[in-house]
Amino acid sequence: MDYRFIEQLIERYFACETSLQEEQILKTFFTQDVEQVPNELRPYIPVFAAMQPAETLGDDFDERILAQIGESQTVKARTISLAERFRPLLRAAAVVAVVLTLGNAMNLSIQSGQPQGDDINYAAYQDTFDDPSMAYDQVEDALQLVSDGFAHAQKADSIAMDSLYSELK
Amino acid sequence: MKKIDFRTDILPLKNELYRLALRITLNTAEAEDVVQETMIKVWNRRESWHEIESIEAFCLTICRNLALDRNRRAELNNASLDEGYDPADHSYSANPEEQASQRDRLQLVRKIMEQLPEKQRTCIQLRDVEGKSYKEIATVLEISEQQVKVNIFRARQAVKQKYLEQEQYGL
Repeated sequence: MDYRFIEQLIERYFACETSLQEEQILKTFFTQDVEQVPNELRPYIPVFAAMQPAETLGDDFDERILAQIGESQTVKARTISLAERFRPLLRAAAVVAVVLTLGNAMNLSIQSGQPQGDDINYAAYQDTFDDPSMAYDQVEDALQLVSDGFAHAQKADSIAMDSLYSELK
Repeated sequence: MKKIDFRTDILPLKNELYRLALRITLNTAEAEDVVQETMIKVWNRRESWHEIESIEAFCLTICRNLALDRNRRAELNNASLDEGYDPADHSYSANPEEQASQRDRLQLVRKIMEQLPEKQRTCIQLRDVEGKSYKEIATVLEISEQQVKVNIFRARQAVKQKYLEQEQYGL
């Protein structure tokens, strides 16, 4: 196997020219089975082995810290959408709307019991004439009377206007 | 911005913080204390979490500063080579002799790293162990990216020279 690539990487590593990915390749290469590493590269094994994150803290540390900051139970953050946030308000508005509608309906039903509109009761009228031709004559006379009245008023009106004009002149 | 939760976002950083504190203080008990202090300090600043760009970098910075404070106070910086924290290495399946010599070499590399100046040690810890970018390290240490690169370069060169020197002239 050709190890020139690894050798190059090692050279560039010590010159600080490797990227994080390339350094990871080196770390992986040197932490594999020692038999797989060629003899000439074996001296580098401890250099890269020393880079393995080894030291850790136990779980009792977590408990101690959490006890100290006084946060024993997990509080989960819950994200509430705008619709969810306004839901109680909408519910209240719906209740108000229902109450208003019912109130209105009740009011209407109470009012419908009483007489409403113009109090013209056609059923209460009684015929005054038995003979239609007589009734016709009567109506004709009445209308004639109204017509005479109008004509008289118009004449009087025009005379009054003429005298008014002459006075103004 | 994402909501930060202490349990899911900050507490899991404990091992990373612990290793950083350990690199600086070189003492397991001190390092654990530093991490604890860091967590409490971060918790007490919870009102301003939303203003922080990277909570991880923020924690690392606090952790480093606290560890440095301790070093200064106790004047511990003269490399007390605590070997108690060194876990057994199971990554070699070769014969016991080979395993022993590999372990010795690993110890040697660790000792060399511990003797580096603090800045170089922190830089190499964050880069090579925790896999952080130059930019992230620069934020944590509050120095320029160029300075981070210089520190890492010097640290790697020092490890290479000292280690290979010892290898060549015998342990």
